[in-house]
Amino acid sequence: MRVDVRALGACNRLAERGAEQAAGALSDLTGTDLAVEVTGASVASGEDLAEAFAGRESIGVSVGLRGGLEGEAVLAFDAANVDALLSLLPGGASMERSAVTEVGNIALGGFLDGWANYLGKAIDMSPPRYFEADGAAVLPDGALAGDGVFLFESRLDATTTDLDFSIYMLPDSGPFRDLVVGKTAPAATAGAEAAAGGGDAAGGSTAVPYESLSTFASLAKRGSANAADNISMMTGLDTTVDVSRLRFVPLADVPAEVGVEPHAGTVFELQGEPSGYLAILFEEESAAAIAESMLPSEPDEPLGGMAENALCELGNVMTSGFIDGWANVLGTSITHSPPEFVHDIGSATISPLVAKLSRRQDYGFVIDAAIQTEGLQARCDVYALPDERELARALDRLSET
Amino acid sequence: MATRVLIADDSEFMRNLLREILEGEFEIVGEAENGVEAVNMYEEHGPDLVMMDIVMPIRDGIEATTEILEENPGATVIMCTSVGQEEKMKAAIKAGAEGYITKPFQKPNVLDAIGSAV
Repeated sequence: MRVDVRALGACNRLAERGAEQAAGALSDLTGTDLAVEVTGASVASGEDLAEAFAGRESIGVSVGLRGGLEGEAVLAFDAANVDALLSLLPGGASMERSAVTEVGNIALGGFLDGWANYLGKAIDMSPPRYFEADGAAVLPDGALAGDGVFLFESRLDATTTDLDFSIYMLPDSGPFRDLVVGKTAPAATAGAEAAAGGGDAAGGSTAVPYESLSTFASLAKRGSANAADNISMMTGLDTTVDVSRLRFVPLADVPAEVGVEPHAGTVFELQGEPSGYLAILFEEESAAAIAESMLPSEPDEPLGGMAENALCELGNVMTSGFIDGWANVLGTSITHSPPEFVHDIGSATISPLVAKLSRRQDYGFVIDAAIQTEGLQARCDVYALPDERELARALDRLSET
Repeated sequence: MATRVLIADDSEFMRNLLREILEGEFEIVGEAENGVEAVNMYEEHGPDLVMMDIVMPIRDGIEATTEILEENPGATVIMCTSVGQEEKMKAAIKAGAEGYITKPFQKPNVLDAIGSAV
């Protein structure tokens, strides 16, 4: 199947609106404010998803879908939060399953309303099914099968209590799949193309073979492993890649994802095909610890000039490790700018990159990788933001070879 | 004499919630867990009003409403559902529902809907 990146954007907008409706319904039901933290589609293999969800115990409610959309939608939350949820529901504590099931029913009903109204077709929901699941078993049927799937995920966070929900949906068949591949050409997509200068004529096709996208997700994973190895080489610390995913998200959401905690690291501009931006960010304390491990003696300032130089050099090597694999497999040449040191609150470190890319596109493929170092409590997040048209072009060529 | 209400919803939680909202002002004549029970209980109790969920096992609320109204053209049904889709609501109205309320609902919404329907 060929995935149309613009159509994917339109689907993402629908999912986001659906998530907002679900958040509103949950807020009314629980009396606590919930906000949509992020909505995106990730490209991941069953193996990746199993890794990403390992160790999680979830409670979920699933509904089968027929009609305007087919497949399954799931509302899930951390099993440890069930008491917090039940305490918010009138009479909830005395009827755990029934209350949770109804919460899922109401939230998923809200989530699907926007899709149905947009499609102009009713979506039949089966009666909700309550379940408890370990790891990735919480995901809709089919998520763990095959080499890779698109998984739409919306996260809803309570603003005053420790309660968050995720909604998952897979475009595995029928009308949903037609939407994602652009077959049904959502009006929102046409509008976005016009705003961006006109689809094929101005900027090239944005449809890419799904298999190539899956290959790119694997490349991103390999790139994350290379970057982690480079940290090990330069610091002597053992590293592991905790999570590496290729996600399709609204660019405007990316700064909020990085958060408001102070971060330090390096950012780069990529030139070639695809061009774009790459940010290697550490939480402030992690950055100082990593820099210190690279220096012969303790620096005068934790993130002063010496540390800055060390982190720039580390960024250089990590970036090369990250993009070399892409260039080799895509058959292109990708170079990167000299490192620019950044030290600010997380969202501010990445906002300038997002602003530049947002001139050309509203959505983007974000490769995010979390690299953990052993011995030091240090975590590094890598965000790669490629130009969507150039990435589509490169991936299209990849499918022809 | 209080309006006699039949509640049809597969969720015990929602049935309890509706009962709490309605008790005192209305007489609850029964609670059905699916569309088949709703039809049977309607025939048994002849309520003035049915609060009917759409998504239910065995027979959904729209089918149950159609069946109730075929046998009892004067029956009054309000759909109460988590699904606010326009097409679903059109189907509910076409089936003969007097109105609908979308979950989660508050007492004033429920009373307004009943006031308009009965």
